[in-house]
Amino acid sequence: MSLLYGLVTGIVFGVLLQKAQILRYDKQIGALRLIDMTIIKFMLSAIVVASIGIYLFKDIGLIKLSVKPASTGAQLFGGTLFGIGWGLLGYCPGTAAGALGEGRIDGLWGIFGMLCGAALFATVYPIVKAHIINIGEYGKITLPQVLGISHWIVIALLAVASILLFFFLERKKL
Amino acid sequence: MLKKPWNPYFAGSLAGVLLVLSVLISGKFFGVSTTFVRSASVIEQAVGIDTSAIEYFTTKKGKYGPSSLPNWQLIFVTGIFIGGFLASTLSGDFKIQTVPDMWKKRFGANPVKRAVVAFLGGAIALFGARMAGG
Repeated sequence: MSLLYGLVTGIVFGVLLQKAQILRYDKQIGALRLIDMTIIKFMLSAIVVASIGIYLFKDIGLIKLSVKPASTGAQLFGGTLFGIGWGLLGYCPGTAAGALGEGRIDGLWGIFGMLCGAALFATVYPIVKAHIINIGEYGKITLPQVLGISHWIVIALLAVASILLFFFLERKKL
Repeated sequence: MLKKPWNPYFAGSLAGVLLVLSVLISGKFFGVSTTFVRSASVIEQAVGIDTSAIEYFTTKKGKYGPSSLPNWQLIFVTGIFIGGFLASTLSGDFKIQTVPDMWKKRFGANPVKRAVVAFLGGAIALFGARMAGG
């Protein structure tokens, strides 16, 4: 049953990504070059809506958060490498699969590369764990916890900042 | 609706609703990168590598090991591929393309050059994603 939900959710997500035209190399690199912010509009809209929904249902007790452990070393170095790789490939892991569905063969080369990158990471994981993940570890924390304020304040700030950014992007025609 | 592109705020908001529904109904947040680690472990096992000797594939009770597949996320990623194919076909956007337009303008039409950089980029991106835990 879980697999069927996964299939339906994936197909709908793939359709949304395609209809927003963000399975395209030109859109992804356009965002990194700050000349076409379609992806930022899509991502921030999704994050704001999902934050409201997730915390609403969490407050009611219907769902649980899945918080990832915070590590300055892991996220700083991992994030930087991710950015370099994203800039070279022009797709993130999920959009590479969708881009291939659109007929973009470079998405497939990216997927082969990702499998190799994954195997390499698994091989060197003991070194990463001993020297990088242990830099500045904070465990499973959330922004509202650290700030000691209601999550609704954080969500409201995120929503307002996103909407202001959207107005700016539309005015600049980005 | 079928042929025209959708407003990114609209499509993004729907993606947010989709995530909330997914967590409500099946308890699953969206993620992609662990599927590549799990697939790599399946491939390594298939070519005769002892994956139980690789620490990462045995951590968290084999969460990333070969026996973790098939799972929700693998099918989710497959679904993204199918969704991309369906929507692009219906929109008339589907087109086999080895070199993207922006790349061609800057680096030329050589598909091998593009393939090599895409491969390297994918490897670096996924290595970084797994390091960061996302």
